[in-house]
Amino acid sequence: MNLRLIVLPLVILGLFPSVAARGQDTAHNACRQLEALVVTATRTPKLLKDVPVVTRIISHHDFESLDIGHLPELLQAELPGIEFTYAMNQQLSLNMQGFGGNGILFLVDGERLAGETLDNIDYARLNLDNVEHIEIVKGSASALYGSNAVGGVVNLVSRNAGEPWSLRLNGHYGSYRNQRYGASLGFSRKRFSSETHAQHTACDPIRMAADGDFGTLYGNHTWHIKERITVTPTDKMKLSARAGFFFRERESQATVHDRYRDFSGGLKGDYAVSGRSALTVGYTFDQYDKSNYLLTGGYDVRTYSNVQHTTRALYNHTFNPSHTVTAGGDVMRDYLMSYQFGGDGAHRQYTADAFVQWDWTPDDRVNIVSAVRYDYYSLSAASHLSPKVSAMYKLPRVTLRATYAGGFRAPTLKEMYMVFDMANIFMIYGNPDLLPEKSDNFNLSAEYSHSHYNVTAMGFYNHIRNHITTYWNTALNGMRYANMEPVGLAGVDLAASARWDNGVGMRLSYTYTRERVTAGGMQTSSTRPHAATLRLDYRRRWSAGTCTVALGGRAMSAVTCDEYTSYTDLSQTARRTYPGYMLWRFNISQEFKRGVTLTATVDNLFDYTPDYYYSNSPATPGRTYAVGLTVDIDKL
Amino acid sequence: MGSTLFKAMHPTPVSDIIVAFHRLLLCAPCVLLAGCNGIYDGLYDDFGGTDIPQYGFVESRADGSGTIYIDATGYDRWVLLDFHRKTMDTVNITAAEPDPEHWDIAIHRYDVRTRDGAAAETPVADLSAAAAMDRDRLAFTADVDSQVVVDMSTMMDGYLGYSPAHVNPVLSRWLDVNTSTMPPVYTLSRKVYIVQMEDGTLAALFFSDYVNEKAAKGYITIQYRYPL
Repeated sequence: MNLRLIVLPLVILGLFPSVAARGQDTAHNACRQLEALVVTATRTPKLLKDVPVVTRIISHHDFESLDIGHLPELLQAELPGIEFTYAMNQQLSLNMQGFGGNGILFLVDGERLAGETLDNIDYARLNLDNVEHIEIVKGSASALYGSNAVGGVVNLVSRNAGEPWSLRLNGHYGSYRNQRYGASLGFSRKRFSSETHAQHTACDPIRMAADGDFGTLYGNHTWHIKERITVTPTDKMKLSARAGFFFRERESQATVHDRYRDFSGGLKGDYAVSGRSALTVGYTFDQYDKSNYLLTGGYDVRTYSNVQHTTRALYNHTFNPSHTVTAGGDVMRDYLMSYQFGGDGAHRQYTADAFVQWDWTPDDRVNIVSAVRYDYYSLSAASHLSPKVSAMYKLPRVTLRATYAGGFRAPTLKEMYMVFDMANIFMIYGNPDLLPEKSDNFNLSAEYSHSHYNVTAMGFYNHIRNHITTYWNTALNGMRYANMEPVGLAGVDLAASARWDNGVGMRLSYTYTRERVTAGGMQTSSTRPHAATLRLDYRRRWSAGTCTVALGGRAMSAVTCDEYTSYTDLSQTARRTYPGYMLWRFNISQEFKRGVTLTATVDNLFDYTPDYYYSNSPATPGRTYAVGLTVDIDKL
Repeated sequence: MGSTLFKAMHPTPVSDIIVAFHRLLLCAPCVLLAGCNGIYDGLYDDFGGTDIPQYGFVESRADGSGTIYIDATGYDRWVLLDFHRKTMDTVNITAAEPDPEHWDIAIHRYDVRTRDGAAAETPVADLSAAAAMDRDRLAFTADVDSQVVVDMSTMMDGYLGYSPAHVNPVLSRWLDVNTSTMPPVYTLSRKVYIVQMEDGTLAALFFSDYVNEKAAKGYITIQYRYPL
C-alpha cells in the first residue's frame, strides 16, 4: 500500500492539536450521545447508556455535515467491517463481518422492506434526507425481529416535524455529474403534523481506471417521494398515516434499462392505555417491482413483484420501575412473482409471530432483558423459537454487557421455488425442503466512558447451522439450494472516540473477523479479516456561522481465500488473494448564515485505484469532487 | 376501543378528521387487501406471459422493406433466412442436419453467415440512405472458416463446445459482445449492412435489437429491404 496514504493523514492528525487550540465552542462530548434515546435493541425507547446491547448511533449531524446521501457509503465510512461490493450485474452486495445481505435486517422506522436482488434489499430506497438517526445493533435480534436478523439490525429512524413549519432545500453536484436534489416540507399545528419529502438523484456512467470484472458503472437516476401525516386527537392517542413512492432506473444495456419501483403505505395508532401501558397497532403495505424498459418500442415489462401486507400489535406495560413487559405479534402475507420462477410464476405464503420481552432493572447498576419469539411460515411449515438474554452491569465509568441470542432465517420463496435458466449455461433450482438457518450468538462487551472519552471493546461468536446456499446437484444437472455445513464467525470490535471542548473530535474503530468453514478444510470466506475506520473533525463557530472540517479514512486488509474453479467438481479449487486498500475522504462544511450551509468534498483523497477491479474491489474511478448546498428556508 | 372513544367526542372539525381517519384505518386494509398481489398493474406492458408471438418475416411491405424476428437463443442451431421466398428454417448443428434447398443468410446466436455471398458495412443507420449509396464504394467480404459455440453447458467446467463453421466477419460485427467483464457488455453497431446474395441480388439489413420484449437475449430484430 502506498506509504503516502498512511503518512499524510497522520501528518494532518499531528497538526490537529495546534489547530484545535485555537478552536472554541462545541457543545458535544463523547458521553453526550449516551443520553440519546434508542428503540431498536429492545423495541422500547431507552437511553443509549441503559441499553444492555451495544448499539451504535449515527446522527443526522454526521451525514449532513459529510454531505453523504447514500446509506452504504455512510455505513462504510462510519463502521469498520462493512463492505458493499458488486455482485453479478453490478448489484450491490453487503458483507458485514461475514454476514451477507440476508443476514442483516434493514428497517425503516421498524418496518421491513420488501424485495431483494441476490439476497440484498435495494439500498437505494434508503433515502437519508428525512432520517433523524440510524441505529446499528450487532448480533442476532431474531427474538424481537424474527427472520433475517441473524447478524444484526440497521434501523433508520425518521425525523418528526416539530416546528410550526419548515422547508429545507438541498442540492449536491459532483464528478460524473453525480447529482442529488431534495426538498423537505414540514408542518406542525397543535394536534396535526405533516412531513413531505421529495428527492431526485442522477449519475452518469463511470468508467473505471483499469480492467476488471466490471468496466463501467451503469448510469442511473432515482426519485423518492414520501408523505407522513400525524394526528394526535387526545393526549393519549397518536394516529399516523404514511405513503411513499420510489423509482430507480439503471442504464444497464444499450437497448434495455432496468427499472425498480416501490409503493409503500402504512397506518399506525399509538394509544397510552395508562401511565404505565402503551399499545401500538399498525398495518403496512410494501410492493417492490422490477421491470425491463425496452428503449426500442418503449415497452416496460414487469419481471418481479414482491408484495407484503403486514398487521402488527405491540403492547408495553411497566409493572413498577423495575419491570417492563413488552409483547407483540405480526401477521404478514408475502406474495412473490418472479422471472426466476419460470414463466413468471408466483408464490405466496403467510407468516405469523408472537413475542414477549421482560426488562428487569433490579437496581441502578443492573439491567437484564430477556425475550422469546415464535415464528411460523405457512409454505415451508417452518416454525422457530428464538430466545435472547442480555445483561448489563454498570461500574463507575465502565459498563459491562453480555448477550446470548438465538438467530433464525427462514428459507425465502426464491430459495424454495426458483427454476431459473442461467443464460443457457445451467439451471438453478429451489428446494422446498430447506430447513431454516439457525444461529447461536454470544456477545461480550466493555465500555469505558468519562468526560471527553469513550472506549468500547466487544467480542462475539456466531455458530450458524443449516446455512443456505447453492451447490451442484448431479442428478438435476444444475445448481440447487441446500443446507450446508455449520459456519463459525468470531471477531473483536474496538472503538475509541473523543470530543474535546476545543472543537476537535475523533473516532477510531477497528474490527477483526475470523470465519470458520468446515467444508473440506478450505477457507472459502472472502471476508476481509482486518478493517479500520478513522474520523477526525474540527468544529468552530465563527461570526458567520459554524465551520466543520472532517477527514475520514477507511482501511480494509487483503484477504486470501479458496475459490471453486468448477461448479460441477467441488474438489477443484484455486487459492486467490485480493489486495487490501485504503480510502480517505476530506470534507469542509461552512454555515454562511443561519440556514445556509455549503459543503465541499474530496473523495478518495489520494486517488487510489485498483490495478484490477475485482468484484470486491472498491468501485472508485479515482479522486472525485463534490459540492453541496443546504438551505433551511424557515431559518433565514 | 377506538370507536367508543370517537363516539364520546363532540362533533367538531377535528373530530370529523379523527372519525374519517378512523374509518380509513379500518377500511384501508380491506381496500388494499383487494389488491393483495399488488397495485398499479396498469403501469406495465403485459404480453400475457408469452414471448414474441411470431418469428420470421413478420412484416413485408410493397417497397420490399420489412421486419424479421428471430429466436436465436439456441446454441445448437442455425436459423436460415430465404429473402426470395420470405421464409425461415432451422437446422440442428449437433445433429449434423443438412441445410435446406433455399436460404440466403443464416444466424447462430449473434454469428451470421451467407450462402456463398458477401457483405459490406455502410456508415449509415438508415435503410433508404444505404440503398442509395454507390455500391462501387462498398468493400464486400466473403465468409471465412471459423467456429461457433454449440455447447455452453460445460462453461462452468472451464471450457465450451465448438463446431467448425463459415462465418461472415463483416456481418457478424452487428453486435459486439465484450465478455471481459461480467456481465458482458453488448454494443450494437447501428450500421446498415449490404448483403450480396449468391445470385447477385442485394439486401440491406439493419440489426436493431438482440432482446425480446422481456429483455431475454438471443432474440434478434432485423429491419431489411430486398431487393435493392
